[in-house]
Amino acid sequence: MAAIEVENLVKRFGGEEVLGGLDLTVEEGEIFGLIGPSGSGKSTFMRTLTGYLTPSEGKVEVLGKPPSKFAPEDRRRMGFMPQGFVLYGELSVRQNLNFVAGLYGLKFGKRRRRVRETLEFVELWEHRRKTAANVSGGMQRRLQLAAALVHEPELLFVDEPTANLDPILRRRFWEEFRQLREGGRTLFVTTQYVGEAELCDRVGLLSGGALVALGTPDELRRRAFGGELVQLALSGSPSHLKDSLEALEPLGRVVEVRQDEDAEGAVSRVRLLVEDADAALPKVMEALNGADVRSVDLPKPSFDEVFFRLVERTNGNDKAAG
Amino acid sequence: MNVEVLHWYEEKDQVRIGAVAAKEFWGLVRQPQLLLLLLIGPILIMVAFGLSLDVQSILTPRALVVVEPGSEGAELFEEYRYEFTNRTTFAGTTDDPEAARQQLLRGEVDAVISIPSDPSEAITSGEQAVLEVTYNSINPVFGTAVPRRVYGLVLDLNQSLVQQGIASNIGDVRSAQEQVNYLDRQLQNANATAEALASEEGRSVTADLDDSLSELERTLEVLQDAPNETGGDTQTALERVRQGREQLAEVREAQEGGVEEVEELAGVSELEQTVDDLQNALSDVPDAPPEVLANPFRSEVENLATPPGIVGFYAPGVLALLIQHIAVSMASLSVIRERLQGAYEFFEVSPLGAGELLAGKFLTYFGLVLGANLAVAAVLTVFLGIPIGGGVFVMALAMALVTVASLGLGFLVSALARSQLQAVQVAMLLLIASVLFAGFLFPLGDMQGPAKAIAYFLPASYGIRTLQEVMIRGEGIPLFDVAGLLLIAAVSLVLTRYLLGRKKT
Repeated sequence: MAAIEVENLVKRFGGEEVLGGLDLTVEEGEIFGLIGPSGSGKSTFMRTLTGYLTPSEGKVEVLGKPPSKFAPEDRRRMGFMPQGFVLYGELSVRQNLNFVAGLYGLKFGKRRRRVRETLEFVELWEHRRKTAANVSGGMQRRLQLAAALVHEPELLFVDEPTANLDPILRRRFWEEFRQLREGGRTLFVTTQYVGEAELCDRVGLLSGGALVALGTPDELRRRAFGGELVQLALSGSPSHLKDSLEALEPLGRVVEVRQDEDAEGAVSRVRLLVEDADAALPKVMEALNGADVRSVDLPKPSFDEVFFRLVERTNGNDKAAG
Repeated sequence: MNVEVLHWYEEKDQVRIGAVAAKEFWGLVRQPQLLLLLLIGPILIMVAFGLSLDVQSILTPRALVVVEPGSEGAELFEEYRYEFTNRTTFAGTTDDPEAARQQLLRGEVDAVISIPSDPSEAITSGEQAVLEVTYNSINPVFGTAVPRRVYGLVLDLNQSLVQQGIASNIGDVRSAQEQVNYLDRQLQNANATAEALASEEGRSVTADLDDSLSELERTLEVLQDAPNETGGDTQTALERVRQGREQLAEVREAQEGGVEEVEELAGVSELEQTVDDLQNALSDVPDAPPEVLANPFRSEVENLATPPGIVGFYAPGVLALLIQHIAVSMASLSVIRERLQGAYEFFEVSPLGAGELLAGKFLTYFGLVLGANLAVAAVLTVFLGIPIGGGVFVMALAMALVTVASLGLGFLVSALARSQLQAVQVAMLLLIASVLFAGFLFPLGDMQGPAKAIAYFLPASYGIRTLQEVMIRGEGIPLFDVAGLLLIAAVSLVLTRYLLGRKKT
């Protein structure tokens, strides 16, 4: 069953269209990552899904209902971690979480238990007596995550959870997200760290208010490059490898041939773009039979590059269409 | 440090100061609403103040005159209406002292002036007639306007009475009695020296006598024409004077003829008899003492309230202003802070409703503001000896009502403000407006024009009056003020609830 269903969502502020005709389905139990540059409309999209903003056009259903018709019971099924720290610096870590647990209607006994469990989950139990203003930025973010989790929501909206965090802490957040997913929860995560898309089950790429790509990370990668890369290191200069390169042509597209030099002499580095690297590899080795293959690699281009190519392609299409 | 280095530092300082100044300037320019509030708010308050405050009106109490229709007092009031109304704002007349008192107690008038039905009775019996004046003010500053104005009123009235003749008529009678006595002595003297009566000196004496009688005749003519004639024998006395003058004319004619003619004349003895009769006629005319003649009226002023000292009078006002300002400031900042830090988005996604949010905040701030101000009230009572005439419970109830209305206003400010600075600015403007228009410095009942309209929207307007009633007068909470405070609270809380719950579009 879909946790989120969006059809032709349009959001305008004044006359300016910020989101233009989005279609999306997020299934239960998956981590959906919405990536995009600053100002692409990620937060607006999430705010429309949480019901903070109303759509200008189109259909939005979250947990089977339009957000505008949410009753308090529906909201108890959702958790929300905003982009900044919005809790109270003058309250202790535990008081903050206690307050949020109260907002979601947790009664005293359960509240006490859940506050402890959640603080332990985000590793803040030892810091529970410190005022929120006196803990680090990373701890504040974890406290904010705890506030989104304390009532055990089915669907969690997380807005830029790792913004301004160091890589180690970012990794920890994603580990926690995966644990939550394993627990059956659905996560809708926005991030401007394109590399984090790799950690999602599915990714939507938002650019200029439009979903320019949607799929698993591998699908997006293939779409960005037109396939997968096989990287070969062959002894000898490219001029001596004419036969080998010709043999590869039926298997895919040679996108790069670069001459190099190492301790064993001249080496040619070849990048071959194929539809499915795993399936193509035995055929490549067969085609290169006779050549001195020093190494074979299946490199995965960074998602930064994937993102860049997809956005460039979209912009190119737009220009062509224009 | 050499001069060059010093100069370098100074330049750097200037650059930094300039950078900060420019940042502050552009920061303010980018907040047009704040600038409008900073400029227009105080200007509007001052304009309203200028248009609304008429100190002359504050110092001129509204006076209701109690007078019995058809009585001499009523005639006196009609004749001397200007004197009665010049020093006060005339609020009309009534013949019902109890109704007037009730109007006074309700604050519809500032003073009740009772004119005696028969002032002449007191005056003719040698006593000053009494204007009874009651007022009902606890204000030790402006409350003195009534006794001061009444003092002036009585002065005016007495002066006019003397000038117009009513009082001087009494003086004329007194003067007439003296002249008659003098005339009697002169006649006795003239009779004893008949020879001398025909002499030059005798003619001079009779000329003086004629002058005296002429003056006495004029005096008695005035007395006779006066509206409140002072004695029934005036007519008789006048007849005697006229008769005396006729007889004296014969004496003076005989004087021209020499000693024989004077001796033959029976006129002198007739004149002497006439003067005796005149003395008898004027004996019934009262002999009022000089202070009564000069000031036939005096006032007896009674204040139905017991005004406290300055501190005691202003304490309830200070308390009401404190409640309003603390409540408005705290409430307005509490909501705006959360809105700006993004907590509202978090709340919107949670099951927390706008009404629940408002109710939760309200409960805390209500307890906090009321508790703090009850502590202030306890200090006022224990250490400054400010009385709580109406009892602690009623005062706490009154303070609770002011707190509720002020919190409502504060939450409304917060829902409308765009920044904390705006909220603080509005709270300050409300405080200034309350000091000027809510009856703290100047009596609320004397406010006019825009200030009166503004005062209706300020919890302090109702709070100051209510706490004064409870603490100083020992009364209950006026129903009008209860209604006003509850209306402010209800309207502002409903509006705030609507504004906070409004969906973003």
